[in-house]
Amino acid sequence: MTPNVSTAPVGLDGLSRRYGSTQALDAVDLALEHGITGLLGPNGAGKTTLLSILATVNEPDAGRVSVFGLDPRRAAERVQIRRRLGYLPQDLGYHRHFTVAGFLDYVAILKEITDRRRRAEEVARVLAVVGLEGRARTRIRALSGGMRQRLGIAQALLGEPGLLILDEPTAGLDPEQRLRFRELLSGLPGDPVIVLSTHQADDIAAICPRVVVLLQGQVHFIGTPAELAATAAGRVWAADERGGSAHLSWRGGDNRWRHIGDQPPAGADLVAPTVEDGYLLLCHAADAR
Amino acid sequence: MTIPWSDAPGHADADLLAGYADGTADPVAVWSVEDHLTGCARCRSALSAHADADRLARNRSALLVRVALPGDGRVRRLLTRCGVPDHLLGLLAATPSLRRSWLLSVIGVVAVVAGEAAAVRYGWIRAGRTGILAGRPVHPAGYPDPEVLAPFLLIGPPLVLAGVAAAFLPSVDPACRLAVAAPFSGFTLLLVRTVCALAAALVPVVGAAFVMPGPGWLPAALLLPVLAVCVFALALATVMQPRAAAITAGTLWALPALLLAAARVPLAIVQPDAQVACAAVLCASAVVLLARHDRIEWGWVR
Repeated sequence: MTPNVSTAPVGLDGLSRRYGSTQALDAVDLALEHGITGLLGPNGAGKTTLLSILATVNEPDAGRVSVFGLDPRRAAERVQIRRRLGYLPQDLGYHRHFTVAGFLDYVAILKEITDRRRRAEEVARVLAVVGLEGRARTRIRALSGGMRQRLGIAQALLGEPGLLILDEPTAGLDPEQRLRFRELLSGLPGDPVIVLSTHQADDIAAICPRVVVLLQGQVHFIGTPAELAATAAGRVWAADERGGSAHLSWRGGDNRWRHIGDQPPAGADLVAPTVEDGYLLLCHAADAR
Repeated sequence: MTIPWSDAPGHADADLLAGYADGTADPVAVWSVEDHLTGCARCRSALSAHADADRLARNRSALLVRVALPGDGRVRRLLTRCGVPDHLLGLLAATPSLRRSWLLSVIGVVAVVAGEAAAVRYGWIRAGRTGILAGRPVHPAGYPDPEVLAPFLLIGPPLVLAGVAAAFLPSVDPACRLAVAAPFSGFTLLLVRTVCALAAALVPVVGAAFVMPGPGWLPAALLLPVLAVCVFALALATVMQPRAAAITAGTLWALPALLLAAARVPLAIVQPDAQVACAAVLCASAVVLLARHDRIEWGWVR
Protein backbone atom coordinates (compact mmCIF):
# COMPACT_ATOMS: atom_id res chain seq x y z
CA MET A 1 0.00 0.00 0.00
CA THR A 2 1.34 3.44 -0.84
CA PRO A 3 1.66 5.61 2.28
CA ASN A 4 -0.17 8.92 2.34
CA VAL A 5 2.06 11.95 1.70
CA SER A 6 0.31 14.11 4.30
CA THR A 7 0.22 11.57 7.13
CA ALA A 8 3.60 9.84 6.71
CA PRO A 9 6.45 10.85 9.08
CA VAL A 10 8.27 12.39 6.14
CA GLY A 11 6.38 13.64 3.09
CA LEU A 12 7.35 15.37 -0.15
CA ASP A 13 4.54 16.98 -2.08
CA GLY A 14 5.00 18.24 -5.66
CA LEU A 15 8.71 18.89 -5.14
CA SER A 16 10.52 20.56 -8.05
CA ARG A 17 14.00 21.91 -8.42
CA ARG A 18 15.76 23.30 -11.47
CA TYR A 19 19.45 24.09 -11.99
CA GLY A 20 19.77 26.36 -15.01
CA SER A 21 18.23 24.44 -17.89
CA THR A 22 18.29 21.10 -16.04
CA GLN A 23 15.14 19.96 -14.28
CA ALA A 24 16.70 18.03 -11.38
CA LEU A 25 13.35 17.21 -9.73
CA ASP A 26 9.99 17.35 -11.42
CA ALA A 27 6.88 17.34 -9.20
CA VAL A 28 8.00 14.52 -6.90
CA ASP A 29 5.41 13.16 -4.45
CA LEU A 30 6.80 10.74 -1.91
CA ALA A 31 5.89 9.45 1.54
CA LEU A 32 8.60 7.93 3.71
CA GLU A 33 7.67 5.58 6.55
CA HIS A 34 9.75 4.34 9.47
CA GLY A 35 12.32 1.79 8.33
CA ILE A 36 14.60 1.82 5.32
CA THR A 37 13.61 3.26 1.95
CA GLY A 38 16.04 2.75 -0.90
CA LEU A 39 16.32 5.42 -3.57
CA LEU A 40 17.53 3.89 -6.80
CA GLY A 41 18.49 5.79 -9.92
CA PRO A 42 21.34 6.45 -12.34
CA ASN A 43 23.74 9.38 -11.95
CA GLY A 44 21.96 12.67 -12.61
CA ALA A 45 18.51 11.27 -11.78
CA GLY A 46 18.01 13.81 -8.98
CA LYS A 47 18.74 11.55 -5.99
CA THR A 48 21.29 13.88 -4.42
CA THR A 49 19.09 16.94 -4.97
CA LEU A 50 16.14 15.16 -3.38
CA LEU A 51 18.20 14.09 -0.36
CA SER A 52 19.80 17.52 0.09
CA ILE A 53 16.34 19.14 0.13
CA LEU A 54 15.20 16.57 2.67
CA ALA A 55 18.32 17.36 4.73
CA THR A 56 17.35 21.08 4.73
CA VAL A 57 20.59 21.95 2.94
CA ASN A 58 18.82 22.94 -0.25
CA GLU A 59 15.55 24.64 -0.99
CA PRO A 60 12.99 23.47 -3.56
CA ASP A 61 11.72 25.84 -6.27
CA ALA A 62 8.20 24.50 -5.76
CA GLY A 63 6.43 21.97 -3.58
CA ARG A 64 6.33 21.19 0.11
CA VAL A 65 8.40 19.09 2.48
CA SER A 66 7.13 17.88 5.83
CA VAL A 67 9.46 16.15 8.31
CA PHE A 68 7.74 14.86 11.44
CA GLY A 69 5.04 17.49 10.86
CA LEU A 70 7.62 20.30 10.66
CA ASP A 71 8.03 22.68 7.72
CA PRO A 72 11.68 23.45 6.80
CA ARG A 73 10.64 26.78 5.24
CA ARG A 74 10.19 28.18 8.77
CA ALA A 75 13.56 28.88 10.39
CA ALA A 76 12.56 27.63 13.87
CA GLU A 77 11.07 24.41 12.52
CA ARG A 78 14.10 23.90 10.29
CA VAL A 79 16.31 23.83 13.38
CA GLN A 80 13.91 21.34 15.00
CA ILE A 81 14.27 19.09 11.94
CA ARG A 82 18.06 19.38 12.05
CA ARG A 83 18.05 18.29 15.70
CA ARG A 84 16.58 14.97 14.59
CA LEU A 85 18.62 14.56 11.44
CA GLY A 86 21.62 12.43 10.54
CA TYR A 87 23.00 13.24 7.09
CA LEU A 88 25.74 11.65 5.04
CA PRO A 89 26.22 13.83 1.92
CA GLN A 90 27.55 12.22 -1.23
CA ASP A 91 30.69 14.35 -1.28
CA LEU A 92 31.27 14.71 2.42
CA GLY A 93 34.40 16.81 2.86
CA TYR A 94 36.77 16.23 5.74
CA HIS A 95 39.07 18.61 7.51
CA ARG A 96 42.15 16.59 6.77
CA HIS A 97 44.13 17.86 9.75
CA PHE A 98 41.49 16.46 12.12
CA THR A 99 41.84 13.10 13.80
CA VAL A 100 38.92 10.68 13.60
CA ALA A 101 37.86 11.52 17.17
CA GLY A 102 38.46 15.25 16.59
CA PHE A 103 36.22 15.25 13.52
CA LEU A 104 33.40 13.40 15.28
CA ASP A 105 33.77 15.72 18.27
CA TYR A 106 33.40 18.70 15.92
CA VAL A 107 30.25 17.25 14.32
CA ALA A 108 28.88 16.42 17.79
CA ILE A 109 29.28 20.09 18.75
CA LEU A 110 27.45 21.09 15.55
CA LYS A 111 24.71 18.73 16.72
CA GLU A 112 24.50 20.71 19.96
CA ILE A 113 26.05 18.07 22.22
CA THR A 114 27.82 20.71 24.28
CA ASP A 115 28.73 18.65 27.35
CA ARG A 116 32.27 17.39 26.91
CA ARG A 117 31.77 14.09 28.71
CA ARG A 118 28.55 13.27 26.84
CA ARG A 119 30.27 14.10 23.58
CA ALA A 120 33.11 11.68 24.31
CA GLU A 121 30.60 8.93 25.17
CA GLU A 122 28.61 9.56 21.99
CA VAL A 123 31.75 9.62 19.83
CA ALA A 124 32.92 6.35 21.43
CA ARG A 125 29.50 4.80 20.78
CA VAL A 126 29.39 5.61 17.05
CA LEU A 127 33.03 4.61 16.59
CA ALA A 128 32.18 1.19 18.03
CA VAL A 129 29.11 0.92 15.77
CA VAL A 130 31.16 1.39 12.59
CA GLY A 131 34.14 -0.60 13.89
CA LEU A 132 36.61 2.28 14.00
CA GLU A 133 37.20 2.34 17.78
CA GLY A 134 40.88 1.56 17.30
CA ARG A 135 41.31 4.54 14.95
CA ALA A 136 40.26 7.40 17.22
CA ARG A 137 43.71 9.03 17.10
CA THR A 138 44.36 8.45 13.39
CA ARG A 139 44.44 11.52 11.17
CA ILE A 140 41.71 11.51 8.52
CA ARG A 141 44.23 11.90 5.69
CA ALA A 142 45.76 8.55 6.73
CA LEU A 143 42.46 6.63 6.42
CA SER A 144 41.56 4.44 3.45
CA GLY A 145 38.51 5.32 1.32
CA GLY A 146 36.38 2.65 2.97
CA MET A 147 37.35 3.84 6.45
CA ARG A 148 36.47 7.41 5.53
CA GLN A 149 33.09 6.25 4.34
CA ARG A 150 32.57 4.48 7.68
CA LEU A 151 33.59 7.67 9.46
CA GLY A 152 30.95 9.50 7.37
CA ILE A 153 28.33 6.98 8.46
CA ALA A 154 29.51 7.35 12.08
CA GLN A 155 29.00 11.13 12.06
CA ALA A 156 25.48 10.65 10.67
CA LEU A 157 24.66 8.36 13.60
CA LEU A 158 25.70 10.91 16.25
CA GLY A 159 22.81 11.85 18.51
CA GLU A 160 20.62 8.87 17.48
CA PRO A 161 18.72 10.73 14.74
CA GLY A 162 15.07 10.06 13.92
CA LEU A 163 15.66 10.72 10.22
CA LEU A 164 18.78 9.27 8.66
CA ILE A 165 19.66 10.41 5.14
CA LEU A 166 22.48 8.50 3.51
CA ASP A 167 23.62 9.52 0.04
CA GLU A 168 25.55 6.63 -1.54
CA PRO A 169 26.63 5.16 1.82
CA THR A 170 28.08 1.98 0.34
CA ALA A 171 30.31 3.71 -2.23
CA GLY A 172 33.90 2.71 -1.55
CA LEU A 173 33.04 -0.13 0.85
CA ASP A 174 34.38 -3.62 0.15
CA PRO A 175 31.92 -6.58 0.20
CA GLU A 176 32.56 -7.39 3.85
CA GLN A 177 32.13 -3.77 4.90
CA ARG A 178 28.89 -3.59 2.88
CA LEU A 179 27.58 -6.58 4.82
CA ARG A 180 28.56 -4.91 8.10
CA PHE A 181 26.83 -1.74 6.96
CA ARG A 182 23.64 -3.67 6.24
CA GLU A 183 23.90 -5.26 9.68
CA LEU A 184 24.36 -1.94 11.45
CA LEU A 185 21.43 -0.32 9.60
CA SER A 186 19.17 -3.23 10.53
CA GLY A 187 20.14 -2.95 14.20
CA LEU A 188 19.64 0.80 14.76
CA PRO A 189 17.60 1.57 17.87
CA GLY A 190 14.43 3.71 17.88
CA ASP A 191 13.06 2.70 14.45
CA PRO A 192 14.26 5.80 12.57
CA VAL A 193 13.15 6.83 9.09
CA ILE A 194 16.10 5.92 6.87
CA VAL A 195 16.52 6.97 3.24
CA LEU A 196 19.52 5.74 1.37
CA SER A 197 20.41 6.37 -2.22
CA THR A 198 22.46 3.99 -4.28
CA HIS A 199 22.87 2.64 -7.75
CA GLN A 200 23.62 -0.81 -6.38
CA ALA A 201 20.44 -2.83 -6.84
CA ASP A 202 21.76 -5.64 -4.63
CA ASP A 203 21.99 -3.26 -1.62
CA ILE A 204 18.35 -2.37 -2.16
CA ALA A 205 17.29 -6.00 -2.49
CA ALA A 206 19.20 -6.93 0.68
CA ILE A 207 18.05 -4.29 3.17
CA CYS A 208 15.23 -2.10 1.90
CA PRO A 209 11.61 -3.10 2.46
CA ARG A 210 10.66 -0.23 0.12
CA VAL A 211 12.31 1.01 -3.03
CA VAL A 212 11.76 4.20 -5.01
CA VAL A 213 13.14 4.46 -8.54
CA LEU A 214 13.94 8.02 -9.57
CA LEU A 215 14.63 8.66 -13.25
CA GLN A 216 15.14 12.06 -14.87
CA GLY A 217 13.80 13.82 -11.79
CA GLN A 218 10.58 11.84 -11.61
CA VAL A 219 9.42 8.92 -9.49
CA HIS A 220 8.93 5.92 -11.79
CA PHE A 221 8.34 3.22 -9.22
CA ILE A 222 7.41 2.86 -5.56
CA GLY A 223 7.06 -0.60 -4.03
CA THR A 224 8.90 -3.53 -2.52
CA PRO A 225 12.05 -4.98 -4.11
CA ALA A 226 10.01 -8.09 -5.02
CA GLU A 227 7.47 -5.90 -6.84
CA LEU A 228 10.29 -4.14 -8.69
CA ALA A 229 11.72 -7.51 -9.76
CA ALA A 230 8.23 -8.62 -10.78
CA THR A 231 7.96 -5.75 -13.29
CA ALA A 232 10.47 -7.70 -15.39
CA ALA A 233 8.62 -11.02 -15.14
CA GLY A 234 8.43 -12.78 -18.49
CA ARG A 235 11.06 -10.50 -20.04
CA VAL A 236 14.32 -11.97 -18.71
CA TRP A 237 15.91 -14.88 -20.53
CA ALA A 238 19.02 -17.03 -20.46
CA ALA A 239 20.44 -18.41 -23.71
CA ASP A 240 23.60 -20.05 -25.02
CA GLU A 241 23.83 -17.70 -27.99
CA ARG A 242 23.55 -13.97 -28.33
CA GLY A 243 20.66 -13.05 -30.60
CA GLY A 244 17.08 -11.90 -30.67
CA SER A 245 16.30 -8.28 -30.01
CA ALA A 246 17.20 -7.49 -26.44
CA HIS A 247 17.17 -4.15 -24.66
CA LEU A 248 20.23 -5.35 -22.83
CA SER A 249 22.26 -8.53 -22.92
CA TRP A 250 25.43 -9.67 -21.26
CA ARG A 251 27.31 -12.90 -20.65
CA GLY A 252 26.91 -14.06 -17.06
CA GLY A 253 29.27 -15.96 -14.80
CA ASP A 254 27.68 -19.26 -15.93
CA ASN A 255 28.82 -18.44 -19.48
CA ARG A 256 25.20 -18.03 -20.69
CA TRP A 257 23.78 -14.86 -22.19
CA ARG A 258 21.26 -13.00 -20.10
CA HIS A 259 18.74 -11.12 -22.24
CA ILE A 260 16.34 -8.50 -21.04
CA GLY A 261 13.65 -7.71 -23.58
CA ASP A 262 10.57 -8.97 -25.32
CA GLN A 263 12.15 -10.94 -28.18
CA PRO A 264 14.50 -13.64 -26.90
CA PRO A 265 16.91 -15.60 -29.11
CA ALA A 266 15.92 -19.10 -30.18
CA GLY A 267 16.21 -21.71 -27.46
CA ALA A 268 16.25 -19.18 -24.61
CA ASP A 269 14.85 -20.13 -21.21
CA LEU A 270 12.71 -17.77 -19.21
CA VAL A 271 14.43 -17.05 -15.86
CA ALA A 272 13.33 -15.42 -12.61
CA PRO A 273 13.94 -11.67 -12.75
CA THR A 274 16.00 -9.81 -10.13
CA VAL A 275 15.62 -6.30 -8.72
CA GLU A 276 18.38 -5.22 -11.10
CA ASP A 277 16.46 -6.56 -14.12
CA GLY A 278 13.35 -4.61 -13.09
CA TYR A 279 15.41 -1.47 -12.56
CA LEU A 280 17.21 -1.79 -15.91
CA LEU A 281 13.90 -2.23 -17.74
CA LEU A 282 12.51 0.89 -16.05
CA CYS A 283 15.63 2.84 -17.07
CA HIS A 284 15.27 1.59 -20.65
CA ALA A 285 11.60 2.58 -20.79
CA ALA A 286 12.41 6.06 -19.46
CA ASP A 287 15.25 6.51 -21.99
CA ALA A 288 12.99 5.40 -24.85
CA ARG A 289 10.49 8.16 -24.11
CA MET B 1 24.65 -10.41 44.93
CA THR B 2 25.87 -11.30 48.43
CA ILE B 3 29.50 -10.75 49.28
CA PRO B 4 29.81 -12.37 52.69
CA TRP B 5 33.11 -10.98 53.83
CA SER B 6 32.47 -7.40 52.75
CA ASP B 7 29.80 -7.02 55.45
CA ALA B 8 32.40 -7.60 58.16
CA PRO B 9 32.71 -4.81 60.75
CA GLY B 10 35.00 -1.97 59.60
CA HIS B 11 34.37 -2.66 55.92
CA ALA B 12 31.91 -1.25 53.40
CA ASP B 13 28.74 -3.35 53.23
CA ALA B 14 27.26 -4.71 50.02
CA ASP B 15 24.53 -2.03 49.70
CA LEU B 16 27.02 0.79 50.12
CA LEU B 17 29.38 -0.69 47.51
CA ALA B 18 26.47 -1.22 45.11
CA GLY B 19 25.39 2.41 45.61
CA TYR B 20 28.97 3.57 45.05
CA ALA B 21 29.32 1.47 41.88
CA ASP B 22 26.12 2.68 40.24
CA GLY B 23 26.64 6.30 41.30
CA THR B 24 23.60 6.60 43.60
CA ALA B 25 25.47 6.90 46.93
CA ASP B 26 25.49 10.38 48.49
CA PRO B 27 28.71 12.43 48.18
CA VAL B 28 29.76 11.99 51.83
CA ALA B 29 29.43 8.21 51.53
CA VAL B 30 31.38 8.31 48.24
CA TRP B 31 34.28 10.13 49.93
CA SER B 32 34.29 7.66 52.83
CA VAL B 33 34.22 4.66 50.50
CA GLU B 34 37.00 6.08 48.32
CA ASP B 35 39.11 6.84 51.35
CA HIS B 36 38.57 3.30 52.63
CA LEU B 37 39.13 1.65 49.24
CA THR B 38 42.63 3.07 48.88
CA GLY B 39 43.78 1.01 51.87
CA CYS B 40 41.53 -2.06 51.66
CA ALA B 41 42.16 -4.72 49.03
CA ARG B 42 39.26 -6.82 50.35
CA CYS B 43 36.69 -4.07 49.64
CA ARG B 44 38.27 -3.24 46.27
CA SER B 45 37.82 -6.83 45.30
CA ALA B 46 34.23 -6.81 46.61
CA LEU B 47 33.52 -3.66 44.59
CA SER B 48 34.45 -5.32 41.30
CA ALA B 49 31.46 -7.65 41.70
CA HIS B 50 29.14 -4.63 41.62
CA ALA B 51 30.65 -3.03 38.55
CA ASP B 52 28.52 -3.06 35.40
CA ALA B 53 30.76 -4.53 32.71
CA ASP B 54 28.94 -2.70 29.87
CA ARG B 55 29.17 0.61 31.66
CA LEU B 56 32.85 0.03 32.36
CA ALA B 57 33.46 -0.76 28.69
CA ARG B 58 31.56 2.37 27.65
CA ASN B 59 33.50 4.51 30.12
CA ARG B 60 36.75 3.03 28.90
CA SER B 61 35.90 3.82 25.25
CA ALA B 62 34.81 7.36 26.17
CA LEU B 63 38.05 7.83 28.09
CA LEU B 64 40.07 6.65 25.09
CA VAL B 65 38.20 9.15 22.89
CA ARG B 66 38.94 11.97 25.33
CA VAL B 67 42.60 11.03 25.27
CA ALA B 68 42.50 10.98 21.45
CA LEU B 69 41.05 14.48 21.24
CA PRO B 70 43.55 17.27 20.68
CA GLY B 71 44.86 18.67 23.94
CA ASP B 72 43.99 22.13 25.15
CA GLY B 73 46.69 24.46 23.89
CA ARG B 74 47.76 27.55 25.80
CA VAL B 75 45.40 29.84 23.89
CA ARG B 76 42.47 27.49 24.38
CA ARG B 77 43.13 27.19 28.12
CA LEU B 78 43.36 30.97 28.40
CA LEU B 79 40.10 31.50 26.52
CA THR B 80 38.34 28.84 28.60
CA ARG B 81 39.53 30.62 31.73
CA CYS B 82 38.11 33.87 30.32
CA GLY B 83 34.70 32.18 30.18
CA VAL B 84 34.53 31.20 26.48
CA PRO B 85 32.51 27.94 26.34
CA ASP B 86 34.56 24.89 25.47
CA HIS B 87 32.24 23.77 22.63
CA LEU B 88 32.55 27.17 20.96
CA LEU B 89 36.33 26.75 20.86
CA GLY B 90 35.79 23.30 19.35
CA LEU B 91 33.76 24.88 16.54
CA LEU B 92 36.40 27.48 15.84
CA ALA B 93 39.04 24.76 15.43
CA ALA B 94 37.61 24.14 11.95
CA THR B 95 37.92 27.76 10.82
CA PRO B 96 40.85 27.94 8.39
CA SER B 97 41.67 31.59 9.02
CA LEU B 98 42.16 30.91 12.72
CA ARG B 99 44.89 28.38 12.07
CA ARG B 100 48.51 29.16 12.76
CA SER B 101 49.65 28.94 9.13
CA TRP B 102 47.04 31.45 8.02
CA LEU B 103 47.79 33.94 10.79
CA LEU B 104 51.52 33.64 10.15
CA SER B 105 51.02 34.51 6.48
CA VAL B 106 48.90 37.56 7.40
CA ILE B 107 51.57 38.71 9.84
CA GLY B 108 54.24 38.10 7.16
CA VAL B 109 52.51 40.21 4.50
CA VAL B 110 51.75 43.03 6.95
CA ALA B 111 55.35 42.99 8.22
CA VAL B 112 56.76 43.30 4.66
CA VAL B 113 54.46 46.23 3.83
CA ALA B 114 55.07 47.95 7.17
CA GLY B 115 58.83 47.45 6.77
CA GLU B 116 58.76 49.05 3.33
CA ALA B 117 56.80 52.05 4.63
CA ALA B 118 59.23 52.48 7.52
CA ALA B 119 62.19 52.28 5.13
CA VAL B 120 60.75 55.08 2.98
CA ARG B 121 59.84 57.22 5.98
CA TYR B 122 63.30 57.07 7.51
CA GLY B 123 65.06 57.71 4.23
CA TRP B 124 66.48 54.21 3.63
CA ILE B 125 64.55 54.30 0.33
CA ARG B 126 63.83 57.52 -1.60
CA ALA B 127 60.27 58.77 -1.14
CA GLY B 128 58.09 60.10 -3.96
CA ARG B 129 56.61 63.57 -4.23
CA THR B 130 54.18 65.10 -1.77
CA GLY B 131 50.52 64.26 -2.39
CA ILE B 132 48.51 66.42 -4.79
CA LEU B 133 44.72 66.56 -4.79
CA ALA B 134 42.81 68.77 -7.27
CA GLY B 135 46.04 70.46 -8.32
CA ARG B 136 47.07 71.42 -4.77
CA PRO B 137 49.72 69.76 -2.62
CA VAL B 138 48.37 67.92 0.39
CA HIS B 139 50.24 67.72 3.69
CA PRO B 140 48.42 65.95 6.49
CA ALA B 141 49.50 67.61 9.73
CA GLY B 142 52.72 66.16 11.11
CA TYR B 143 53.03 63.64 8.32
CA PRO B 144 54.80 64.67 5.12
CA ASP B 145 54.86 61.35 3.22
CA PRO B 146 51.31 60.01 2.98
CA GLU B 147 52.08 57.98 -0.13
CA VAL B 148 54.32 55.58 1.81
CA LEU B 149 51.12 54.34 3.46
CA ALA B 150 49.43 53.53 0.14
CA PRO B 151 50.51 49.85 -0.04
CA PHE B 152 49.50 49.31 3.57
CA LEU B 153 46.05 50.86 3.09
CA LEU B 154 45.60 48.85 -0.08
CA ILE B 155 46.59 45.53 1.46
CA GLY B 156 45.66 45.69 5.17
CA PRO B 157 41.83 45.79 5.00
CA PRO B 158 41.57 43.17 2.19
CA LEU B 159 43.79 40.87 4.30
CA VAL B 160 41.27 41.11 7.13
CA LEU B 161 38.44 40.62 4.62
CA ALA B 162 40.19 37.51 3.26
CA GLY B 163 40.34 36.06 6.78
CA VAL B 164 36.66 36.75 7.30
CA ALA B 165 35.77 35.39 3.86
CA ALA B 166 37.67 32.18 4.64
CA ALA B 167 35.50 31.83 7.73
CA PHE B 168 32.28 31.86 5.69
CA LEU B 169 33.18 30.62 2.19
CA PRO B 170 31.84 27.10 1.68
CA SER B 171 34.72 26.36 -0.68
CA VAL B 172 37.27 26.56 2.15
CA ASP B 173 35.16 24.53 4.59
CA PRO B 174 35.24 20.97 3.26
CA ALA B 175 32.57 19.82 5.70
CA CYS B 176 30.24 22.76 5.07
CA ARG B 177 27.32 20.53 4.07
CA LEU B 178 27.42 18.94 7.49
CA ALA B 179 27.61 22.34 9.13
CA VAL B 180 24.56 23.52 7.19
CA ALA B 181 22.48 20.45 8.04
CA ALA B 182 23.28 20.66 11.76
CA PRO B 183 21.16 22.52 14.32
CA PHE B 184 24.09 24.68 15.47
CA SER B 185 24.53 26.07 12.04
CA GLY B 186 23.86 28.77 9.56
CA PHE B 187 23.83 32.27 10.83
CA THR B 188 25.05 31.64 14.38
CA LEU B 189 28.01 29.57 13.24
CA LEU B 190 28.79 32.11 10.54
CA LEU B 191 28.78 35.00 13.00
CA VAL B 192 30.88 33.18 15.60
CA ARG B 193 33.51 32.30 13.03
CA THR B 194 33.43 35.71 11.39
CA VAL B 195 33.85 37.66 14.63
CA CYS B 196 36.81 35.49 15.67
CA ALA B 197 38.48 35.63 12.24
CA LEU B 198 37.94 39.39 12.15
CA ALA B 199 39.50 39.85 15.58
CA ALA B 200 42.44 37.56 14.76
CA ALA B 201 43.27 39.29 11.47
CA LEU B 202 42.67 42.81 12.81
CA VAL B 203 45.31 42.43 15.52
CA PRO B 204 48.37 42.31 13.19
CA VAL B 205 46.95 44.96 10.83
CA VAL B 206 46.12 47.47 13.59
CA GLY B 207 49.35 46.54 15.39
CA ALA B 208 51.34 47.36 12.24
CA ALA B 209 49.51 50.69 11.93
CA PHE B 210 50.77 51.55 15.42
CA VAL B 211 54.42 50.91 14.64
CA MET B 212 54.33 52.41 11.16
CA PRO B 213 55.43 55.98 10.55
CA GLY B 214 51.87 57.24 10.03
CA PRO B 215 49.63 59.70 11.82
CA GLY B 216 48.69 58.68 15.37
CA TRP B 217 45.00 58.30 14.53
CA LEU B 218 45.61 55.79 11.76
CA PRO B 219 45.00 52.57 13.80
CA ALA B 220 41.65 53.84 15.12
CA ALA B 221 40.62 55.24 11.73
CA LEU B 222 41.30 51.85 10.10
CA LEU B 223 38.77 49.99 12.25
CA LEU B 224 35.60 51.47 10.77
CA PRO B 225 36.50 50.89 7.07
CA VAL B 226 37.65 47.33 7.82
CA LEU B 227 34.43 46.54 9.69
CA ALA B 228 32.36 48.15 6.93
CA VAL B 229 34.07 46.11 4.18
CA CYS B 230 33.62 42.83 6.09
CA VAL B 231 29.97 43.35 7.06
CA PHE B 232 29.27 44.58 3.51
CA ALA B 233 30.70 41.29 2.18
CA LEU B 234 28.43 39.32 4.52
CA ALA B 235 25.39 41.36 3.49
CA LEU B 236 26.25 40.80 -0.18
CA ALA B 237 26.42 37.05 0.52
CA THR B 238 22.67 37.15 1.18
CA VAL B 239 22.02 38.18 -2.43
CA MET B 240 24.82 36.46 -4.35
CA GLN B 241 27.30 33.58 -4.11
CA PRO B 242 29.54 33.96 -1.03
CA ARG B 243 32.73 33.93 -3.11
CA ALA B 244 31.41 36.62 -5.49
CA ALA B 245 30.35 38.65 -2.45
CA ALA B 246 33.86 38.58 -0.97
CA ILE B 247 35.49 39.49 -4.29
CA THR B 248 33.02 42.34 -4.88
CA ALA B 249 33.58 43.80 -1.42
CA GLY B 250 37.36 43.58 -1.83
CA THR B 251 37.18 45.28 -5.23
CA LEU B 252 34.95 48.06 -3.90
CA TRP B 253 37.63 48.78 -1.29
CA ALA B 254 40.56 48.52 -3.70
CA LEU B 255 39.15 50.82 -6.42
CA PRO B 256 38.91 54.07 -4.41
CA ALA B 257 42.09 53.11 -2.53
CA LEU B 258 43.96 52.73 -5.85
CA LEU B 259 42.56 56.02 -7.20
CA LEU B 260 43.55 57.91 -4.07
CA ALA B 261 46.97 56.24 -4.08
CA ALA B 262 47.44 57.34 -7.70
CA ALA B 263 46.51 60.90 -6.68
CA ARG B 264 49.10 60.52 -3.89
CA VAL B 265 46.54 61.11 -1.13
CA PRO B 266 45.94 57.57 0.13
CA LEU B 267 45.13 58.85 3.64
CA ALA B 268 41.92 60.42 2.35
CA ILE B 269 40.42 56.94 2.58
CA VAL B 270 40.60 57.00 6.37
CA GLN B 271 39.82 60.70 6.93
CA PRO B 272 36.52 62.13 8.32
CA ASP B 273 34.40 62.09 5.12
CA ALA B 274 35.41 58.49 4.42
CA GLN B 275 34.72 57.54 8.05
CA VAL B 276 31.16 58.86 7.76
CA ALA B 277 30.68 56.96 4.50
CA CYS B 278 32.05 53.78 6.11
CA ALA B 279 29.71 54.17 9.10
CA ALA B 280 26.78 54.49 6.69
CA VAL B 281 27.85 51.37 4.73
CA LEU B 282 28.35 49.47 7.99
CA CYS B 283 24.87 50.33 9.31
CA ALA B 284 23.12 49.63 6.01
CA SER B 285 24.97 46.30 5.61
CA ALA B 286 24.15 45.24 9.17
CA VAL B 287 20.45 45.95 8.54
CA VAL B 288 20.48 43.95 5.29
CA LEU B 289 22.37 41.09 6.97
CA LEU B 290 19.95 40.84 9.87
CA ALA B 291 16.89 41.11 7.65
CA ARG B 292 18.09 38.52 5.15
CA HIS B 293 20.22 36.16 7.29
CA ASP B 294 17.85 33.34 6.40
CA ARG B 295 19.14 33.49 2.82
CA ILE B 296 22.69 32.74 3.95
CA GLU B 297 21.55 29.46 5.51
CA TRP B 298 19.70 28.25 2.44
CA GLY B 299 22.07 29.56 -0.19
CA TRP B 300 25.30 28.68 1.53
CA VAL B 301 26.19 25.55 -0.39
CA ARG B 302 24.55 26.19 -3.73
